[in-house]
Amino acid sequence: MDRRQFLQMLGLVSGAAALSSCGSEKGQKELVSLLVPAEDGIVPGTETWQPSTCCECPAHCGLLTRVRENRPVKLEGNPRHPVNRGGLCLRGQAALWRLYHPQRLQTPLKRQADGRLQAITWAQALTEITEALQLSRQQGRKNTWLAGRTSGTLSTLIEELCDSLDIERLAEFEPFSHAALRQSYRLLLDQADLPRYRVEQADLLITIGADLLETFLSPVDYTAQASTLAADQKRHWMHLEPHYSLTGANADDRLVLTPGSEGALLLWLLHSLASQSRYQSRWSQTLQDLLPSTDLAATAGATGLKPQQLQELVSRLMQAKKPLLIVGGIATGHRNGQPVALFGALLQRLIALPWAGLDFSAAENYSRVGSLLDLKDLNQQLAADRIGVLFVSRCNPVRHSPTDLGLKAALAKATLRVGLADLADDTTDQMDLILPLAHGLETWGDTEPRRGIVGLLQPIASPRQQALSEGDLLLKLLQQATGKSPAADWAGYLQQNWQKRFSRAQLGQLMEDGYLFEPQPQPSIRLDQARAAKALRNLQLQAPLTLPAAVIAPSIRSFDGRSRSLELLSEIPDPLTTISYGSWMAVAPQTADRLRLRDGNELQIKTADWQSTQPVRIQPGLATEILALPMDSLPAPVTGIDPLTGEALRYVEGLQLNPTGKLHRLPILAGSPSQHGRGLIPKPVQRKKKNDLQHHGPRASFYPEPEYENYRWTMAIDLQRCVGCSACVASCYIENNVPVVGASDHLAGREMSWLRIEPFYDKHGRVDFLPMLCQHCNYAPCEAVCPVYAAYHNPEGLNVQVYNRCVGTRYCSNNCPYKVRRFNWWQHKRTPPLDQLRNPDVPVRSKGMMEKCTFCLQRIRIAKDRAKDDKRLVQDGEVTTACAQSCPAGAIVFGNLLDKESKIYRLTHSQRAYRVLAELGTEPGVHYLRPE
Amino acid sequence: MPKWLLHSLLYAYFGGFILLIAALAWFRPATHRDNSQPIAFPHTVHAGQLGLACNFCHESVTQGPQAGMPTVDKCVSCHQAIATERPETQKLLSYQEKGEPIRWRRIHQVPDFIYFTHKRHVSSGLDCSACHGAIEEMKEVRRVRSLRMGWCLSCHRSRGASFDCATCHK
Repeated sequence: MDRRQFLQMLGLVSGAAALSSCGSEKGQKELVSLLVPAEDGIVPGTETWQPSTCCECPAHCGLLTRVRENRPVKLEGNPRHPVNRGGLCLRGQAALWRLYHPQRLQTPLKRQADGRLQAITWAQALTEITEALQLSRQQGRKNTWLAGRTSGTLSTLIEELCDSLDIERLAEFEPFSHAALRQSYRLLLDQADLPRYRVEQADLLITIGADLLETFLSPVDYTAQASTLAADQKRHWMHLEPHYSLTGANADDRLVLTPGSEGALLLWLLHSLASQSRYQSRWSQTLQDLLPSTDLAATAGATGLKPQQLQELVSRLMQAKKPLLIVGGIATGHRNGQPVALFGALLQRLIALPWAGLDFSAAENYSRVGSLLDLKDLNQQLAADRIGVLFVSRCNPVRHSPTDLGLKAALAKATLRVGLADLADDTTDQMDLILPLAHGLETWGDTEPRRGIVGLLQPIASPRQQALSEGDLLLKLLQQATGKSPAADWAGYLQQNWQKRFSRAQLGQLMEDGYLFEPQPQPSIRLDQARAAKALRNLQLQAPLTLPAAVIAPSIRSFDGRSRSLELLSEIPDPLTTISYGSWMAVAPQTADRLRLRDGNELQIKTADWQSTQPVRIQPGLATEILALPMDSLPAPVTGIDPLTGEALRYVEGLQLNPTGKLHRLPILAGSPSQHGRGLIPKPVQRKKKNDLQHHGPRASFYPEPEYENYRWTMAIDLQRCVGCSACVASCYIENNVPVVGASDHLAGREMSWLRIEPFYDKHGRVDFLPMLCQHCNYAPCEAVCPVYAAYHNPEGLNVQVYNRCVGTRYCSNNCPYKVRRFNWWQHKRTPPLDQLRNPDVPVRSKGMMEKCTFCLQRIRIAKDRAKDDKRLVQDGEVTTACAQSCPAGAIVFGNLLDKESKIYRLTHSQRAYRVLAELGTEPGVHYLRPE
Repeated sequence: MPKWLLHSLLYAYFGGFILLIAALAWFRPATHRDNSQPIAFPHTVHAGQLGLACNFCHESVTQGPQAGMPTVDKCVSCHQAIATERPETQKLLSYQEKGEPIRWRRIHQVPDFIYFTHKRHVSSGLDCSACHGAIEEMKEVRRVRSLRMGWCLSCHRSRGASFDCATCHK
């Protein structure tokens, strides 16, 4: 043995010893012999799917919950559910984040004299409540129950509790109460609920203020419907609004009108229809005469629209066979809200009701929901010392009432304030007792979001510590207060009610499908001329708002703010501004130029009694005199109450704009708002260029053609259907254990999302969205530069990242023209119990590794395994990625390109198909379909 | 510096390493070898003498990724009558009495980033012993194969199985 050999040996031996002693034992886990077998048919290490219902917003979409090892790990839209038909929005995806939220309330809490909260037992809490109930009855005070929108059997139980304990059940509180709309339907059509609008069937859709894609009634449903309509060239969608919403961004035409002038516009439309013989017979002359007079010039003056635009609107309306109008959202959130809603409902009656464009047979169940006027009433009663125990369940009236109402102060006058919630909020901060509620995935229950639909809730996870379902809590309270309870527990109570209501077959179906759907008969709806005349007679159309004005706009990421505390939703950027964390104010480019503002400069806007200071984000396409404030940016996103309808006012007018000179760093995730002429989303003009490319002959390559035997996994994204709602992004985060890194990393450009939505604005301020993910190129630039072969092209066309090979040189990311590779700068740990929100089929990447979209490799694997059992290939539609599954618009299609019968084959060979940066010769596996 | 001093320093330095390794090798089994299972389950009796099929207890071996561990119920279904007086059986029965699951020490494990499914390997006609060795002769289960990538690939190569990284790497 010479010296060299000796040293080699020594190196080998000591290296191996060091390696093998490096805690190989630590990785050892346990194998557990359970006591009894798991439920039938559950194979360890495989998934089960349980139906349930999403409770993140009042739409109550149907869910399929993927369960692994007794834990829900992913939510997907139930493809057969009549509300969402397979899609699930980003908030729905984030419902799991709420389930595992580290700050979930876990025990009943009692506020001490010094304001601190102390954990108490349920028995103590219930005793305290019963004593307080009794005391206030003796004092002649009224006990009250205030809750967010409630449906199904829970509503029955609340009714029962309120009856037997002499508690007054107040009108339900929803920040988006649609009070003006409901009032107008009640006055004109005698309907208490809101109809389902049949957007899908309309050939002309005019939406005024209603943000169909973000928060209006049932966003997933309307996203699906609206994108179908927008994808059809023969049909047209016009959206009118003062600011710039995602809905406006996706309409065929977006018309900017002066806030508060929607009534004037609708009035003029009504007048224009009055002269048409087709509509003449549908309403009486008396009604027509009641309308205030107007003309084109006056309307153009009030709305700020050009006369040609108005005439085009009317002529389209006249030509349309199935015109549909939807009014709502911020269009009713100002002093002209009542006329807007009434004129809107009248116009709907004339144009849409005859072809059943308003479907009251599937009405959204809002009849128990009140308005801010009811809250004002409660406020007065509180101030007059008439309220004893006040229960506030699942709603946040403190945040959603105007500050000058002084609800926060008035609440102190109740003898006992009991809050029922799952996470602390502005309202629970004012409560004496806080009772922890179980999540919708932890409890039995049912929902009835729409007439004819019953959704099932079932316990898929076990409740956190002492959290109880609201039903169980009410039964315990009943038991404590009266000594008897209608059922032993909530599950038993539900059983009793279900057995009374449903047949055995129906019940079986409810359990199996997760919902029951029985189409209801269309109620007969007629325009009561006398009532309508009464409603219209004293209608005052006031002047539009004084500019500059600020719009307090609802957010697709947090609905009314209820999903704000879910960090995942702050991590996903706002689709239009691409800001992730923090608050901001959107300003038009011209205004920014005038005030010499750039992104992040602080601007103070104020009136005599209101002010807000926010960093500025320049929003192309926004009207010059309008500022848009996301609801989440303000401590109280309501500026007042409309005394006529009870609707929340969401405007501030006559603003003074004062730049403060300060600069904030905003986490803006988009590289650039412009395509810089690169044709990332080619318009028809640029198609010529593509032909030019072809003119130069086929591209020559030094590399061998990739050969695929059975599969070439390919994705197609239809940009005409994509609305930029970011549901896919949220779905990807949950499915692939993508780390949530927080604001500081976003500011450093270290975001980790595998899939992003890039908004590209043209010079008119119109936006197109481009979902960007790993393109799984045939000639992937990342693969060639990896020194350790961690980036690898597999025989099925996937660009695979072998994590444990990766040494973190980041060459691949530098060489990727699509900028889709993400580097783990840290070991991203989640606070327990959020660490349980983990897909066990996807490893958690550690510090120093590169990661990126895998085309949901784990799902492909499961599908291939199943196919192999049957000795066949994976069939079309059998496997899809998480993003494609959750897309409400059905814009993403995934499949095997080698299967010539497949949908993906058809789409990639469509006239509209193109590939981003095709001129680089990377031959991506993601095909985009150009919008027309 | 005299030459002998240099030499002896060098010998001491490298020799020290060798001694260290030897010490590690000597003491490691004693400190780290905690192969004891909560119950001394003899595969020699069950799989050997009684000749029970592997999937009699590891039921999901043909159905899913994990072979599965028998439930306490399953063990007790025989052992409520058989060999009840033995101390190890007593242990088993006490688990059932206490209502506690048995936490076995895991011997065979692939890393977190690896997808391995028993079902595919068993259904391709591979015998359990190909990876687990002659379990029926082991009083105490031990790992006889390295379960390292090279070892996996040698078999994949010889049997013409998939050579795609993505087959196993998650």
